[in-house]
Amino acid sequence: MNILRIAGKELKVFRDIKMLLFMLATPVLLMLILGTALSGNFHGTVKVDPIRVLYSYNSTSSAVGKQWEAFLLEAKASGIRFEEATSRTETDVVKDVQNGLYTGYARIADKGISYYGNSGSGKENGIVQGLLAALADRYRLTITETGLSASNGNYVTEASVDAVRQPGGLDYFAVAVTTMIILYSALTAGQLIETERSRHTDLRLLVSPVTKGEIFAGKIVGTLVLNAIFVAIIVLLSKYMFGANWGEHLWLVFLVLLTEIVLALSLGLGVGYCLKGNAAGSVLMIVIQAAAFVGGAYTPVDQTTGMMNFLSRYSPLHWSNDAILQIIYAGNLMAAPPAMMLNLGCSILLLALAIVLMRRREGL
Amino acid sequence: MNMLEIKQLTKKFGEYTAVDNLSLSVQEGEIFGFLGPNGAGKSTTIHMATSLLSATKGEIEIMGRNITKHSRFAKQAIGFVPQDLAIYEDMTAYENVHFFAGLYGLRGAELKRSAIEALEFVGLADRQGSYPKSFSGGMKRRLNIACAIAHRPKLIIMDEPTVGIDPQSRNYILNSVRKLNRRGSTIIYTSHYMEEVEEICSQIAIIDHGKIIAEGTKAELKAIITNQKNISITVRSTERLPMEQLKSIVGVNTVEAAEQTINISSAVEINNLNPIIQLLVASGVEIRGVEAQEPSLETVFLTLTGRTLRDE
Repeated sequence: MNILRIAGKELKVFRDIKMLLFMLATPVLLMLILGTALSGNFHGTVKVDPIRVLYSYNSTSSAVGKQWEAFLLEAKASGIRFEEATSRTETDVVKDVQNGLYTGYARIADKGISYYGNSGSGKENGIVQGLLAALADRYRLTITETGLSASNGNYVTEASVDAVRQPGGLDYFAVAVTTMIILYSALTAGQLIETERSRHTDLRLLVSPVTKGEIFAGKIVGTLVLNAIFVAIIVLLSKYMFGANWGEHLWLVFLVLLTEIVLALSLGLGVGYCLKGNAAGSVLMIVIQAAAFVGGAYTPVDQTTGMMNFLSRYSPLHWSNDAILQIIYAGNLMAAPPAMMLNLGCSILLLALAIVLMRRREGL
Repeated sequence: MNMLEIKQLTKKFGEYTAVDNLSLSVQEGEIFGFLGPNGAGKSTTIHMATSLLSATKGEIEIMGRNITKHSRFAKQAIGFVPQDLAIYEDMTAYENVHFFAGLYGLRGAELKRSAIEALEFVGLADRQGSYPKSFSGGMKRRLNIACAIAHRPKLIIMDEPTVGIDPQSRNYILNSVRKLNRRGSTIIYTSHYMEEVEEICSQIAIIDHGKIIAEGTKAELKAIITNQKNISITVRSTERLPMEQLKSIVGVNTVEAAEQTINISSAVEINNLNPIIQLLVASGVEIRGVEAQEPSLETVFLTLTGRTLRDE
């Protein structure tokens, strides 16, 4: 009960409207500024090479034949050339695709459409596959893969329709700024106990029938809930104010963010117990700034090489951002557990350090 | 019944001994004064009694129970008013009292009633919805007390509760201490203001360098120095004061000089007023008044330690 009482006290900060506005305005403005100023780093337009596709028509269905003819006319009008692979073996056709003479090869049969694309023409393959998928969807056909690609190694692969989905500037910075702001909450956590000491309320808490552990837990729970609410507001603001894409699995994204909050609070408490007074704040500021810089808070780091690439792997921002972007843009839900486990693992280590130091210390 | 019993308590910070083999007991119903200069070891002793510090050696009992073994019981029985203000500026007066009283297990209507009663007791009921930042220093001190008494503790420990406040608030707090005592609480009152301790305390312990140097009622303590008299001489200036010659006059024990006052402690049976006056006149010190004073706790402390309570 006392844990909840102490946690509840931490939430009273929400009554300070001025501070709340400031806390919300900072990330929202950062998203807007970075997202607008650095939108050039994100590919808004894509150059597409001429598309030539070989096809073989093996359907006996007149309905499919009509649909296919109509499709060829529409494709031609869009500048995409479909050429029939008359009197040629599939081996020759695949060779031409492998050599880059054609973007891909489509085989139309009664059961549906099979498509093989050249992996060197990712964007073009995406377009063709998108068109074929739309056709199949419209006429209730299916797109299947034959064993042909396997016999040709990895060179010929089926292109993913979703591969062309990429975050825009605002989309990226909505994620990156949110994870960065979460890391900044380590500064507040570093001051959690120090604030009680400077107000002398630590004495009053310690003389009451409340254990150090309850005080510690109450403060962590309170700050965790405070930050979770705060982050939820930021996510929703960015989603509905700027139309930032947070994907279809917002609950999972939020779980990753929640574990990052736990990590940030643990980092603050760990450093706060190791170093007293302003030293803790200074060290935390350096750690946060470095983690933000190498973790991709100001510019994407997925294309970096060398030392920057090496360092970025050790930034909690990088692994959290990476997991969230994977969830949003690749629908890869399995990207979440490793990031969450890393966040929680580091948190356990830091909290253990804080608890050991707290138990050794007289007072809070 | 002993509300507090301290047995051979020692606290060391590295090589420095802050409290040195100290023993004392406080009986139920007393207002116990714990008097000593800054740095004497009062707060360290109090912090050990409230479990804020651990003892290097010794034992502390609250109502007959060891505070280490019965920590929750001891904490429940104590109300602690810290020397520094210990309140949340971002919470109203009511919220402050409500929050701290809640930590002692009070709930619901009882908690609300206790918080209001505590605020009424310190005269802040009409300001219960205000934030402490709008309070004067004295009002904050009163709120500091309210936060410690809402759970109706049997033993209230006040660590220098009147530091830095105006005389009106000081009187209010001293009256509150008496009222708390009347309603059944035992009070331990630490201070380096001997006037306060002399005014409200029934039993007094004087501490210096971590040791109790005298203990008893006011009368008992003053009896220690019944062989002493105190002469206060008002002068125009003490610039030409022949300090060493004054101290060498027969019967003179101590001489303290402020800007325009000389306090001399002297043996009561020796009539040495004439030689003192003659020496001052001969040294060119212009005398404006002479007064013989009743011995005070200040005199007791001075006699026992050779220093005043306000010496650093």
